[in-house]
Amino acid sequence: MIVNSLPIWIIDMVGSILMIIFSFLCLNLIGALRNRDKSNVIWTYLFWVCLGLAGFAVSRSAGHILKQILVLSGNENLWSFIRPYSGAINSLMFVFVASVTLFFERIWKIYQQISRDKQALQGVRDELLFLNQNLESLVAERTKELALSEHNYRRIFEVSRDMILVTRPDGTIINMNPAGYDILGLEKDDDFPSRKNFADFFVHAAEWQAVKRALERYAFVANAEVSFKHKADHQIRVLVSASRDVGFSDKEDTIQFFVRDIEQRRQIEEQIAQADKLASIGQLSAGIAHEINNPLGVILGYTQLLIRHEAADTEKYNDLKTIEKHVRNCKSIVEDLLNFARSSKPKEDVVRMDKALDDVIHFIQQHAGLDNIEVKRQYLPSVPEMVLDEKKIKQVFMNLLMNAKHAIGEKGTLTISTDFNPVEGQVIVRVADTGHGIEERNLARIFDPFFTTKPTGEGTGLGLSVSYGIIKNHGGDILVESKVGQGSIFTIVLPLITANPRVNHAKIHSYH
Amino acid sequence: MKSTQLLIRTGLIGAILAITEPALATQAHSAPEGLYAHQLAHIFFIISMGVLTYWLRERKLVQAVGWRHIQYSALFFILWNVDAFFVHLVEEQLALIDIQRVGLWEINITSTANSPVLLWLYYAAKLDHLLCVPALLFLFFGLRRLLKDAETQTTRTVPP
Repeated sequence: MIVNSLPIWIIDMVGSILMIIFSFLCLNLIGALRNRDKSNVIWTYLFWVCLGLAGFAVSRSAGHILKQILVLSGNENLWSFIRPYSGAINSLMFVFVASVTLFFERIWKIYQQISRDKQALQGVRDELLFLNQNLESLVAERTKELALSEHNYRRIFEVSRDMILVTRPDGTIINMNPAGYDILGLEKDDDFPSRKNFADFFVHAAEWQAVKRALERYAFVANAEVSFKHKADHQIRVLVSASRDVGFSDKEDTIQFFVRDIEQRRQIEEQIAQADKLASIGQLSAGIAHEINNPLGVILGYTQLLIRHEAADTEKYNDLKTIEKHVRNCKSIVEDLLNFARSSKPKEDVVRMDKALDDVIHFIQQHAGLDNIEVKRQYLPSVPEMVLDEKKIKQVFMNLLMNAKHAIGEKGTLTISTDFNPVEGQVIVRVADTGHGIEERNLARIFDPFFTTKPTGEGTGLGLSVSYGIIKNHGGDILVESKVGQGSIFTIVLPLITANPRVNHAKIHSYH
Repeated sequence: MKSTQLLIRTGLIGAILAITEPALATQAHSAPEGLYAHQLAHIFFIISMGVLTYWLRERKLVQAVGWRHIQYSALFFILWNVDAFFVHLVEEQLALIDIQRVGLWEINITSTANSPVLLWLYYAAKLDHLLCVPALLFLFFGLRRLLKDAETQTTRTVPP
């Protein structure tokens, strides 16, 4: 078949030239890509592929062009000589390009890994750069936050009303907040706390041991009720919570204690229980007294009627007099019970407290004698006149002073003082003696009707009950503090009610 | 001790060299080896481009225009290798085709297989630049796009 060879010749020549051109254009592009990112292995890979293809294009195209020129010029023998070299170089270029191309997958994996590492490094670099640029402000900010945090926690430590205490595992005190000093009655200047052990404040060693065991076993203690020694030589009840701080730093373990003083709460609870008990007794007493009072009145009336018709100095007259005397005693007791039960509304007399006290002291000096007892009067002149049932208040003072005289015995000091709290609107009267005091077990019962420590026949046990009832009937309160061998202090707290209603009004408002 | 061992080894090597026939030292390469090597190089090129195409698709790189063009380039190179392999096969390896120049721009193509189809196929296959030039053209387009992407890319992310 005879065909025109021109198309083959043209395409061969043009194609060969184009191959050289495009292969070098490709090299130029990949060179530009590599210049942008010399560390990019994909660009390096493509560079070697393009380099191989350029070599292939040059060797092949040069061979083809040379062949056409030599054949057309009649130098076929020369071409026959060059041809094996051209073909061999061409084959080597194939193999080179094909070999490089086969590494694509491996190169791509390396590229991915490098990219990931690069990105991670970039992130770290950015973070480091940010930290480097902002280190000073970051440190300042962090320091400020730490200072604020330290201030907050220090403030909690300082202003807490509960004791916060840090000790070593053996109980040696490391630090204690101001509330701790208050609870224990200690002064800040006392030689404390570095040499003290927390165990020393426990009244009962067994309670400290129990707390310690619980800490060792469970690493915490919650609301254990124990007794502490107060500096003023008395006990206080407290709730102890604690937890061990283990392994925060290389320093030794510590124990953090939180101690709440519940002594006052306990006292209030006892007072409420006492008030409830006395209210119940009062209710019972009032019921009985009312029932007994009428028959006693009838008995007294008839007894007096019989006495009127009986001649004096007869045996029957004397018997009737004995009945009358005992009925009167009974009526007196019944009246006392009614006073205790606060069944009657107090009268409204305008009374000066110091004058009422002086009257009672004078009466006792006249009739009972206070010769060996030193009487100290510490009246506050500013105590205003009050609206009270004078007779009943004097009865209260009489009971308290007679009890004090009895407690002092032969010799001692009786101190009577008045005080006024305008903020709370209260008038306070204190009767303090240096007598034998009241045993702790009796303190809760002294206001109970018919409770007495006096020998039989010397007291009815109604004096303090009646006083309690009268003071409560006036809206006040009566409190007692006592130490065996040192004496007792009875404190009467009365709300200020004056004849001037504006003052009372102001007081009422001040309560709310 | 060491000098004795060295002496023994030297003696053994000398004996082997003395008794060996010179003809066994190298292998002779006759004329077809060049053609076979060239044809095998074409097959290797086809396999290599096939593998490249496979990984471009497997890694989903062909979703990017630049890599898609490089894939087309690989495909054209495969076609070109098949074409070249065919030409070498029929013209030189199997000697089915014979070409005689009969004029300045005329050639006489004859086939021992007496097949006109083969003649026309051979004539078409001789125009192999119609395959290898587009292959390089697509490679050029692909690289140009990759360069453009690299220029516009502000944040480099980890490829899939």
